[in-house]
Amino acid sequence: MLLLVTRRIEDFMPEKASDLIQGTLDMLILKTLALEPMHGYGISVRIEQVSKSVFRLNAGSLFLAIQRLERDGLIQSEWKPTENNRRAKYHALTRKGRTRLNSETREWERQTTAIARILEAT
Amino acid sequence: MSILRRAAAGLRSLFRTERSAMELEEELNGFLEMAAAEKMKAGLSHQEALRAVRIECGNPEVTKDLVRSATWESGVETCWRDLWFGLRTLRKSPGFTAVAILTLGLGIGANTAIFSAVYAVLLKPIPFKNAERLVFIEKRNPPRGWNRNPISPAEIIAWRNESEAFDDIAAYTERSCVLTGVGEPEEEPCEVITSNLFPLLGVAPIRGRTFSTDEDKPGGSRVVLLSYRLWQRRFGGREKVIGTALDIGGDSYTVVGVMPANNSHLYASPYGTPPDLWLSGIALSPTEVSNEYFGIGRLKPGVSLQQAEARMDAISIRIEPMNSDLRGWRAQLMTFRTNTSGDTRPALLVLMGAVIFVLLIACANVANLLLARGTRRANEFAVRSALGASRGRVVRQLLTESLVISIAGGACGILLASFGRKGLAALAPEYLLQAAPDLAHAAPDLRILAFALLVAIGTTLLFGLVPALRCARPYVTDALKETGRSSLQSPRSRSLHSALIVSEIALAMVLLIGAGLMIRTLAQLGRVNFGFNQTNVLTLRVPLAGERYREFQAQAQFWERVVSAVESLPSVESASVSRGLPISGWSGQFFATSEEPNPPAGQVPVANYVVIGPNYFRTMQIPIRAGRTFNDHDNNGGERVVIINEELARLYWAGREAVGKRLQIGGKGPWLSVVGVAGDVLSQGPDAGFHSEMYVPYQQFPWLMDGPKNLVVRTSGGVKPESVVGEVIQEIHRIDKDQPVVEIATMEQIALEPVAQQHMVMALLVSFAGLALILSALGTYSVLSYSVAQRTREIGLRMALGAQRKNVLRLVVVGGVRLAFLGIGVGLTAALALTRLMKVLLFGVRPTDPLTFGAVIGVLAVTSILACYIPARRATRVDPIVAIRYE
Repeated sequence: MLLLVTRRIEDFMPEKASDLIQGTLDMLILKTLALEPMHGYGISVRIEQVSKSVFRLNAGSLFLAIQRLERDGLIQSEWKPTENNRRAKYHALTRKGRTRLNSETREWERQTTAIARILEAT
Repeated sequence: MSILRRAAAGLRSLFRTERSAMELEEELNGFLEMAAAEKMKAGLSHQEALRAVRIECGNPEVTKDLVRSATWESGVETCWRDLWFGLRTLRKSPGFTAVAILTLGLGIGANTAIFSAVYAVLLKPIPFKNAERLVFIEKRNPPRGWNRNPISPAEIIAWRNESEAFDDIAAYTERSCVLTGVGEPEEEPCEVITSNLFPLLGVAPIRGRTFSTDEDKPGGSRVVLLSYRLWQRRFGGREKVIGTALDIGGDSYTVVGVMPANNSHLYASPYGTPPDLWLSGIALSPTEVSNEYFGIGRLKPGVSLQQAEARMDAISIRIEPMNSDLRGWRAQLMTFRTNTSGDTRPALLVLMGAVIFVLLIACANVANLLLARGTRRANEFAVRSALGASRGRVVRQLLTESLVISIAGGACGILLASFGRKGLAALAPEYLLQAAPDLAHAAPDLRILAFALLVAIGTTLLFGLVPALRCARPYVTDALKETGRSSLQSPRSRSLHSALIVSEIALAMVLLIGAGLMIRTLAQLGRVNFGFNQTNVLTLRVPLAGERYREFQAQAQFWERVVSAVESLPSVESASVSRGLPISGWSGQFFATSEEPNPPAGQVPVANYVVIGPNYFRTMQIPIRAGRTFNDHDNNGGERVVIINEELARLYWAGREAVGKRLQIGGKGPWLSVVGVAGDVLSQGPDAGFHSEMYVPYQQFPWLMDGPKNLVVRTSGGVKPESVVGEVIQEIHRIDKDQPVVEIATMEQIALEPVAQQHMVMALLVSFAGLALILSALGTYSVLSYSVAQRTREIGLRMALGAQRKNVLRLVVVGGVRLAFLGIGVGLTAALALTRLMKVLLFGVRPTDPLTFGAVIGVLAVTSILACYIPARRATRVDPIVAIRYE
């Protein structure tokens, strides 16, 4: 018999550690890739390290985001050997991805400054 | 851009499903391995590390599924898989599938066929420039109750120049054109038009040019336009035809253009023959008041039909004193749509309603089948949902199955519809085919196919949704517990079955009543006395034309010779000639009686004017009520005479002897003596009643005529009138071989023409109602059989506890019959409300005709009792021991 199991996507969103604000995961991945091309695990380790374990990505949401970014043409991917002689898919920022990262960063800063101003004003 | 890219990526992975799945798997595995390698640094073994990573990251299968299902192509894939799965399940139950597809096919086919007629007549864009602003202009005379009259040049000019409601008004009039000189002489349907007609309609010629304004003048050059059809048929589509001269009715006309084939005749009334020739030469004079023309106008933007009529009426009132013939006339405008669709609109709407009912019944039947099937498959759905399928997922699967059924049903329906259209075209009255020439063509166009597809998808929701929702109800444990044992039907599912049966029977009831009313209508129409004996009479028309027949004397001689030659044929009883035939028309002429020689303007009496030869009354078998018929002395030398009908005698000489009185026709000319009173004849069809008529003998050369042209031939008893056509034409051609013979018909055919529409509606409604009756009986039967099968154990128990066969019989029959009668009750109420809508189609019956209602109730009651009885009989044969052990 044929069976298909679908669950709601929300079930697989980051748990335990702080939830990411909707849409910021893409920006974080783009930012991470702006330094150098990386494979999926590298991205997740890096985000965890830099955020001091505040954000921990699970494989599901990471690969979903990568697939999305790739289809939008913001990153491109290629199979390459890793330092441990394993084959891994490396993701690199495209020019379009870089532009998007810049605009999103600017927008993010604008918003956080605004939020900070509101929170500080009493 | 990004949508395109996403689509491209999706398509790539759709066609390389395996490869992209493998890539994802490898990437994910790499991820896990790397994570594990990290953990191993902390001293864990490889296995322990992998386990820890798995716990942290969750099931990799779930992750893969999650990533895959976020893409659009995975939705397509699911649908695709559902589709294949649906096809496989349906193939496993071919009986169910065939019945469901055929049922829907009949419903969709009937809808598609009728819709193609509705589309062609009522919806298809009219092929003219600004067609929504084009109006057909006629006039009416409210004090005298006359409608849809042709208009006069005086009115056309005044309305065009002064009303400020129109961009322009064009005029045309029909005439008989005999084309000689090129091949056999032939009469072509023909119109004389003003030069602005085609520019107004926005139709350009495909060759040459249309008329110039100079050519409107009577002194201008005589020019002619050809229809595409005539150009191909008679001139072989030759380019050289432009500039050649044609002999039309003895005059020479120069061909200046060819009109396109695209229905360019559709401006005209659908009751006439579409013209093949258009002649120039209408000179409109502001003082001319004869009512010879039909007008076509284009309203100025923003002017409504009513506003235009009001402005035109104001002008009519102002010009009334100019001439007494203008007295009482007011403008009567009609949109092109109304004009070309004629009276067919209500008929088509009634038929469209009927086929929608048929489709609803078909849907109810299929829904019943699906519900029953769903109960049998309850186990399957329970297993699925136990394994994690959501309710939406199961509903989607079931709807996909339904979609497969209805698409197949739609295909079957399109096939049936193409036969249906042929049948429809065969039944349709001539004017319907003229308004919608596409109807007779076999290939349905894209819009019709789109309609069928839309109906198919709509029906999926209609018949599939409720069963799907019910089957997918998440009572997993209940259903699993009942594994292998057919459950008793739940009360709710039984009430759904019941509701479907009640509505099916109610719908069938409404259709049967509609069909019954039409049958009664035709029976009443058949009983109408036409005033003459239409059996065994052949008629044909010879449009005498040419130099030879300019003189009236020559026409009279021609007819004398034809009539005596035809009468000498052995199978002919008598023959005569006339201008004007019963049923097929009415050509009114004003007259005055000797009692009131100067009737006040606006009240001048009018009567149908028929020019006849001797023996006309004998040939048509119209009784003479008083006085005498015409004889050989009523010739050019004798006293001027006239025969009137009873209606005219009753109106103007009521209670007095009409024979011997005198009347004058057309306001001038000689006074005529009434020598006889003839019986009334239906001049406009069975539902139009009797009107005044006057008959004059053609041998007295009445000044008001263009000569007789209809030959009427009564064959001897037992000889079919159709069988003498060849001999009669031979006799005519022996006298003059150059005369075309047209409009060959029997009087019986002519008498049927005005009721052709009722015939069509009746034939179609009867077949739809029959279909509805069969479908609803099948529905009742199958639901009851199913319920008997479901209740085998219960019935067995009852019988084991002492129930008699008749108790069991009653148990089943009463249940079914109660539903049937509920359905009949609902149908009765609906029919009482709905049959009013078909009132215009009825004749001699009221929409609430008790006979029809009674008969239909009887038929439905008997059918449903029968449909209940057969499964009930089966229930009585249940063997209690087997039934209880069973399962």
